[in-house]
Amino acid sequence: MPDHWGFVAAAYAVAAVALGGYWRRLVRLERDLEAPRLRAVGSRRRAAPRS
Amino acid sequence: MVTIVLGWLSAIAVATGMILALLIAPRELTQGNVQRIMYVHVPSVWVAYLAFTVVFAASIVYLAKRAPGADRLAHASAEVGVVFTGITIVTGAIWGKPTWGTWWTWDARLTSVAILFVMYVGYLLVRAMIDEPERGARYAAVLGIVAALDIPLVHFSVYWWRTLHQPPSVIKPGPATMPGVILLALLLNFAAFTLLYAYFVTKRVSLLRADADAAA
Repeated sequence: MPDHWGFVAAAYAVAAVALGGYWRRLVRLERDLEAPRLRAVGSRRRAAPRS
Repeated sequence: MVTIVLGWLSAIAVATGMILALLIAPRELTQGNVQRIMYVHVPSVWVAYLAFTVVFAASIVYLAKRAPGADRLAHASAEVGVVFTGITIVTGAIWGKPTWGTWWTWDARLTSVAILFVMYVGYLLVRAMIDEPERGARYAAVLGIVAALDIPLVHFSVYWWRTLHQPPSVIKPGPATMPGVILLALLLNFAAFTLLYAYFVTKRVSLLRADADAAA
């Protein structure tokens, strides 16, 4: 039976890309949800009078 | 905090599992190194079964109690399940080419997995297409329950029909029939992928909750 390391590498690469891609999607969603909240906090700080 | 701990645990477990699968587990006698694909393929299908069973249970809870938490769990679990089913199908095809001589064949196991994948992609599309969240959740819950009927069909297809796909070696009653190191590598990857599933679902549920809070 030949070694077929190319097939093994391809299968592991597909799994890594799919799982890494999904993880990146979650990180991007988290960043998108955080952005308006951080903007709101920033504008409240700017609006508050300095003591 | 739970999500961060789960994230690190799953990263360590996956790294350990991959080292065991690629470097420590021996070359299988009949299949050669291509058998190492099984350390990704089999745990992926296990997670797919788990994910869609969670969708099934959470959908029943949602329809019975209209609990938004159950709906979010079903949504998150379906997404993760689709990712792992995709990995199962593609890694199976890559294993099939050198072993069976074909990337794909319409036998009962492969066809029922393809149907499972398409049904849950449809489930996610239903959620995305319906603007009214409550109605979308209700339709998705019904689809989540109906689609889960394919899970036993997938698993037992190798017993019920004559297929090219071999019967299960691990997810079956009785002891596993394989050498200790191979079984250890497989079981460690089962645990690693299950942790990864828990991490993804926990994170996705918290994002769905934050999104709902922001919309309210």
